[in-house]
Parts: sequence; C-alpha cells; structure tokens
Amino acid sequence: MNNIIRTEHAAKSYKTGDITTHALKDVSLEIPQGSFTCIVGPSGHGKSTLMHLIGGLDRPTDGKVYIGDTEISRISNSDLARLRGKRVGFVFQFFNLMQGLTALENIEIAMMLAGIPEREQRGRAESLLALVGLAEKAGAKPGQLSGGQQQRVAIARALANDPDILLMDEPTGNLDSVAEAEVLDLLQTLHRQGKTVVIVTHSDEVAKRAERVIRVRDGLVAHGMFLPELCSI
Amino acid sequence: MTLTKLVFKNITRRRGRFLFTLLGITIGIASFVTFMAMGGSLKDEIHRETAALGANLVVIPKGSCGYEQLSILTGDQMPTNISAAEIAGIRAIKGLTVVPFLAQQTAIANKPVTVSGIEPAATLAFKRWQIGQGAYFSKPDESGVVIGATAARQFNLKPGATVIVRGESLPVLGILGETGGRDDATLFLALPVAQRLFKSADKVSYAAIRVDDLARTDSYIEKIREATGLGVVSDKQMLKSVLGIVGSVNITLRLIAAVSVLAAAFGIINTMMAATYERKREIGILQALGARRRTIFLLFMLESGFYGIIGGVTGVITGLTTAVIVTPYISQNAFTSFVKGSGSGAAIDIKVVAGSILFSAVVAVVAGIYPAWRAARLTPVEAISYE
Repeated sequence: MNNIIRTEHAAKSYKTGDITTHALKDVSLEIPQGSFTCIVGPSGHGKSTLMHLIGGLDRPTDGKVYIGDTEISRISNSDLARLRGKRVGFVFQFFNLMQGLTALENIEIAMMLAGIPEREQRGRAESLLALVGLAEKAGAKPGQLSGGQQQRVAIARALANDPDILLMDEPTGNLDSVAEAEVLDLLQTLHRQGKTVVIVTHSDEVAKRAERVIRVRDGLVAHGMFLPELCSI
Repeated sequence: MTLTKLVFKNITRRRGRFLFTLLGITIGIASFVTFMAMGGSLKDEIHRETAALGANLVVIPKGSCGYEQLSILTGDQMPTNISAAEIAGIRAIKGLTVVPFLAQQTAIANKPVTVSGIEPAATLAFKRWQIGQGAYFSKPDESGVVIGATAARQFNLKPGATVIVRGESLPVLGILGETGGRDDATLFLALPVAQRLFKSADKVSYAAIRVDDLARTDSYIEKIREATGLGVVSDKQMLKSVLGIVGSVNITLRLIAAVSVLAAAFGIINTMMAATYERKREIGILQALGARRRTIFLLFMLESGFYGIIGGVTGVITGLTTAVIVTPYISQNAFTSFVKGSGSGAAIDIKVVAGSILFSAVVAVVAGIYPAWRAARLTPVEAISYE
C-alpha cells in the first residue's frame, strides 16, 4: 500500500523570547493511502502540531514531511495552499463554518478557492449536502443547525474538492453521543469509498473505529503501537 | 460563490459597523463634492457675470484690489469714489462707450438685495435688456425701480407695486426679461435717485466701458489713466484677478474636505483592522481550505475598496444634493453670493462625480493596504488557533 503521508525525523519548535518549546521531536511515521488512522495522546503533547504538519498547515523546523510525493517544506506558500485545497480536507472540533453564510455557501467557498467556476459549484455542493444527509438544510446558516449537523456540513465542505485525505481535529469533541455516532458512521462510509481518514482525538469511541492508532507523547510517536487494541488513550 | 459575493456578505454581516464606516466616507466625500461643486459653480458664475457685464474695460477707484473687482461681479456694496467730472473726462476720450454704476444694497422683507444706480438710456443700450413686464424708465431721473426677473419672483413684485428703499416708497415701473446673470437679482434705480437715497452726491462706484477698437485697448487704458488717475482693468485682467481669489478659496475648501476624507480613511483602517482581528479564525479556515496569501490580501482589499466605491457613490449623491439645496441659501458673502439668485445652483460636473468616486475608491484601497497585509501575513496555524 502506498503511503500518502510520510514524515522523516520531523520536528517542530516554537520560540517565544528566549524560550524554545519543542512541540514535536524527531517524528517519523507513514500513513498508507486509504487507511483510517487515529492520532491519540494527552493534551499538549504534540497531536495537533503533528496534524498541522501532515496537513500542510505548518512546516517542520527540522526533518521532512511528504504529502504524496511532495515534500511540503520545500514548496512555496502558494503551492502549499494549493496542495491543501486540492488534496486535504480539514474538519475541526468547533466546526469552523463561516457564520454569515448558508450551509451550501460554506461548501461553495472551498470550491471557489480551488478555482471551480460558480456555475459548477451549486450542483456539487448540493450533492455533498445530500451525501451527508442534509439536503434539506442547504439554505440554513450555521446558527440554525445543531452541532452534529454543523459538523456534517464541515465534512461536506472538506469533501468539496474531492481530496485524498480527510484530516480531522477532534471532529466529535463537541458532539453528543448520538451525533458522534452519526459522524463516525459517515466517516467510515467515506473511508470505505477510498478516502484516507486521519483523526486527532481523545475519544475511545473514535479510536475504536480506526484501523491504526498513532500515539503521541512528549512530542514523540510511540512506535509499535499502531493497532487500536494496543492503544491506551 | 465568488470572491466578490463573499466580500459583500462579509461587509454587510455587521450592519451597524458597515453603516457607520460608510457614513464616515460618505460625509468625507460629500463635503469634498459639495466644495468642488460650489467651487465649480463660482467659476462658472464669474465667467457668466463677466460676459453679462458686457464691458471691455472697467474703471474703478485707484488702489482698488481684486476684491472690488469681485464686488462688481457679485453685486456687493462698493465705495462711491468716482465723480461725475471723472466720468465726463473718460467720456471725452473718443472711441469709448461709458456707463457708470452706483453699487449699493438694500433690504426687502429683511433680505439683502443689490441696488444699482444707472443711467437708464445708456445702460439699456449697453446691456441690451428686454423689458419683461411694465415699462422702463422714461426719463433719466425718474423716481421708481426696475427689477430683475429673479428679484421680482423672489419678492413677488409686479409693476405698480411699491418698494421701500432707504425709507422712501418707490413704484415698481417694470420688470426686466431674464438675463441669466446677476442683473436678474438686482433693483435698478435712476442714478440721480440712487445718489440721493444713498447720499453719494454725484459719485458712482465704477464705470463699464466698451471700446470701439479692441486692438487699441491698451492705448485706451493709458488715456483713461492719464485723464482721470483712476484704476482701469480689462475684462480679461478682471477675470484673471477674480478667478485667482476664487481659486485660493477653492484650494482652502478642498483642503478642508481633504481632512474629512482623511478622517474617513482612518475610519476604514479602523474597521478593517477590527475585521482582521475578529476574523482571524476565519482567515485560518480559508487558508486551510486552500486560500493563498494573495487571496486573503485581495479579500480584504476588496472589502476596503467596496467601502470606497459605495461610500463614494453615496457621498457624491449627498454632496451634490447638499450643494444644490444649500448653495442658493448661503447668505451674503462675496464669494458665495454669486450663486444666490442666479438660478444655476451648484455646478454638477461629470468629472467631479467620476473623480470623486475614483478618489474615494483609491483612498479606501490605500487605507485597506495595512489591514490586508496584516491579514495576509497570518500563518494558517496562528489564525486557526486563535480563540
């Protein structure tokens, strides 16, 4: 199986005044294409930093990060943005929908940024809303939707440009158990359809559904713990 | 979805802030347009009044400055320092048609009106007036008034009515046809009557002169100076001198307007900076969705530009409306009283309209550069992690 995400001795540190914080230290990992992977670990140990690096939201201060064959630390900001828009779909804990826009418009924005003409956006966005079971909520603004519905819109938005990778930061962290189950079912469906799903989570329920679990502690990946049943969150 | 639609939705999302920012630029541009329109109107009026005066030369008291020349065109009250003997001296020079004027002011219904003492026959021939209603002066010292068309309408005067000037009741003899100039807003008295009422003995304020041979204008000026010692200016010199005064007034007005536009620009900067902070997380989301830095920069620049264009349009409409409505009511002032009663209102110039909207857009875009740059330089992680 091809690895769609790969890091080689990736490290990330932040400097505040004279203090340097090492958020991630020497992380080497591989995520196969089409896999369902969870990244778990205690808060503040580097999970989100790892997600930012493998999603191209940030660059390593040391080491290398690959998305497909592209080493992201070597490409320009502009190319990195284009790569994010085409190959990675992000979903965040707090949904992060644009409050002034409808569900449909939130999805269209992602397409607009990828350069898809306006006339093509509407049909595709409606199909995606139907895919996540919210066809009838196309004209609703985020404030008119429940948490679970908002997250499904966010997933539809993440799918807008048919990315290879769905990268999610605590996607069910703000949902009740019913909504969490709905979202996870949806993600499993997407995974079965061939998407690579990577989820950063604290949730046992989420981790149990993953094929692979990567545990991060103290900015390092605990090697050899890639099976969910071995994972202690 | 397009970037333009997104921009419009963004700026109208916070309606209160949108309206107040818009109001700032609207007021700035409106004051700019008002002053420009009024300034343009003044220039037009000066050209019109100079033409309406119909003189090639104007004789004024020695040492008179541009302000007196301006007063001739505005109908403002002027000193009466030129004697009948001096007028006779000028008339003795061959090739000149000389018409003296006594420029004074009175009030009708507590509103100031220009009064002009004239030699009836000479002035009628010189100005080529038409009589609209009633009759004209039948003798050189007839006691009565002939009124310009605008003044007659303003005070609802008809032939046969009476007007009180300096405590003396005078019959309205007739009403002039429209001249399109300052004469429309003037009360004309026979010169001897005006001199008596305004206690000017045999003196007048200025004399308008038409020359028979324009090529000899300089020679006429020299002869008049030698004969009387009075000041003489050609119509071109007067125009230049008066436009110079108006030009400096216009520059001052525009500087004042520029300050208000500058204040509006800071209002836009403030709004856009606030938007940058408030929408940090949104900027991060857009970046996560694939927005490049230049897209974020463009997004904020377009927002700023939208303020400029919308504010420019509303400012131009407000400014021109203000100029048209307010200008005729501007009270007595040598610079602005031109427009009063002349019926033209403010000059609406397409160049002023287009230029003001463009100016507004440019100011807004310049004001948006820093906030847009701030927004665009945010890293995705910095933006998306913003609480």
